[in-house]
Amino acid sequence: MKVKAKLKNGVVKVKMMAKHAMSTYNQAEKKTGDRENANFITHLSGTVNDKVVIDISTSQFLSKNPIFQFKFKGDEFKSGDEFSMTWVDRKGKTKTKKVKIK
Amino acid sequence: MNRRKFLGYFGSAVALSVVPSSLSADDYRALKPKAWEAKTVEDAIKELFGSVEMIEKGVKIKLPSVASNGGAVPVKFSTKIPAKTVAIFQDANPESAVAVYNVGKYDLTQYSLKIKMGKSGTITVVVEGLDGKLYVGKQSLEVAAGGCEG
Repeated sequence: MKVKAKLKNGVVKVKMMAKHAMSTYNQAEKKTGDRENANFITHLSGTVNDKVVIDISTSQFLSKNPIFQFKFKGDEFKSGDEFSMTWVDRKGKTKTKKVKIK
Repeated sequence: MNRRKFLGYFGSAVALSVVPSSLSADDYRALKPKAWEAKTVEDAIKELFGSVEMIEKGVKIKLPSVASNGGAVPVKFSTKIPAKTVAIFQDANPESAVAVYNVGKYDLTQYSLKIKMGKSGTITVVVEGLDGKLYVGKQSLEVAAGGCEG
């Protein structure tokens, strides 16, 4: 997972890419014969200083290695604070990446 | 508040905060499982929000008019309406829900992501305002090569 978080004029802008195949039910059925082999990111959340700043539930229709961009209020945060991004996929695998806000 | 009660409250608060945020009640897949299986945009909206009465304003969507690669169609969407939830749907794939944003107090509701589109279709973004009303924006695009079969 690649994450960039930048603070400017009180707004934190985040750009991130999660490395994930994001296979759909149809793709899984074609390749393995079983829809249940589909695996994709189902939930992402980001926190700064234990405060949730972004919270997304997702489906199989995000692109492969999905890219997200979003903005959140940065008045309470400063550059150097740690932004932590976590995703969970359908099989329960989870990954967290921590970066300092620039 | 007596001491015992206070400690009780404190204990439960700590227990709650230990649970990762991804497992909190904000997970719309667990909360509204049927919305993710809905085959049409209307059904998905109904499952998610309990209503399809929507006001067509205040939601901005930016798309390429023609997407050369249906496997990764860039979609930008935003709203200035104070929102509780923002959800994005499309009608080009077997199911229609793409993502649901649970808007917290820090969120500025300006998003961009890349989605798969099996064929040409319409992107629908629904914003559930803090006023309890639903606002909707729609935009269509052409997809040159579908992204769901790859």
